[in-house]
Amino acid sequence: MSAISNISEVEFGVELEPFEPDTSLAATSAFAEAVGWTDGRGGRFTDHEAARKEGFPGALVPGIMNMGFLTSMIHRWSPVAEVVHVDTVFRAPVIADEPCTISAVITDVDEDECLVELDLTVKNAKDETRVFGTAKVRLPAA
Amino acid sequence: MQIDIEELKSKYLDLEFDRKDFTIDPEKVVTVAKMSGETLPQFCDPAHPEFQAPPAFIASLVSGRHLPVDFPRIGGVPMDGGKAVTVHAPVRPGASLTGKTHLHDIYDKSGRSGRMIFLVSRMELFNEQGEHVATSDSRQVIREKQQ
Repeated sequence: MSAISNISEVEFGVELEPFEPDTSLAATSAFAEAVGWTDGRGGRFTDHEAARKEGFPGALVPGIMNMGFLTSMIHRWSPVAEVVHVDTVFRAPVIADEPCTISAVITDVDEDECLVELDLTVKNAKDETRVFGTAKVRLPAA
Repeated sequence: MQIDIEELKSKYLDLEFDRKDFTIDPEKVVTVAKMSGETLPQFCDPAHPEFQAPPAFIASLVSGRHLPVDFPRIGGVPMDGGKAVTVHAPVRPGASLTGKTHLHDIYDKSGRSGRMIFLVSRMELFNEQGEHVATSDSRQVIREKQQ
């Protein structure tokens, strides 16, 4: 799939090429440290054992890191896309060191305003939806 | 007795309850972008002329308090129900920002296990020129404690 360069190339209903992000503990730890979420959170993003002691199944991928996965996928689909709005619902935890798949489908194309809307999903290896959401993206005119 | 959602809304919505200043560290923006799988230089390269914070970084900027100081205790431990970001203009790392926070919405959903109450805190981010550059919503979900 070649990268989208303007609004005229976008087709309603098309699915973006899914990708598997890096959910390693090293990645979640680096992310959590960068956003200041390592203090006072008991290692829930950085340490499987510490997270289990808090009642989680293992260390968590920070919720907003999933938002990052989703917007990164949009930029892979179209490097000229500007994410104007993104809304993510954290339905269930995404666990570090476990694979997940990011997918998106185009649900609206407004050629007059050069805006595209997408439905976004993060699923785990059991095909269970963990995070879902929507995005509104601006693209250059044709 | 159930919490009266309409009463909460009339008392607390749209009133600023927190204000916080931020200076965004370019290195942290790069880490967040790269760990999210981002590859575009405007998010990963501080030397790029359009270098800016991605939405996930904007979502990480939180106010000093989650709720107004006199907001009533509703029930159990709040859960992070989700985040939304609207970008009005590029958020430039290194610049000083001010975040003004208010309760934007309060609503409930009922199910077999009881009533869940959703509290949406909205932070509006302004740059040094007073330009509104981004809006970040945080949804807290609280299971209502039966009285």
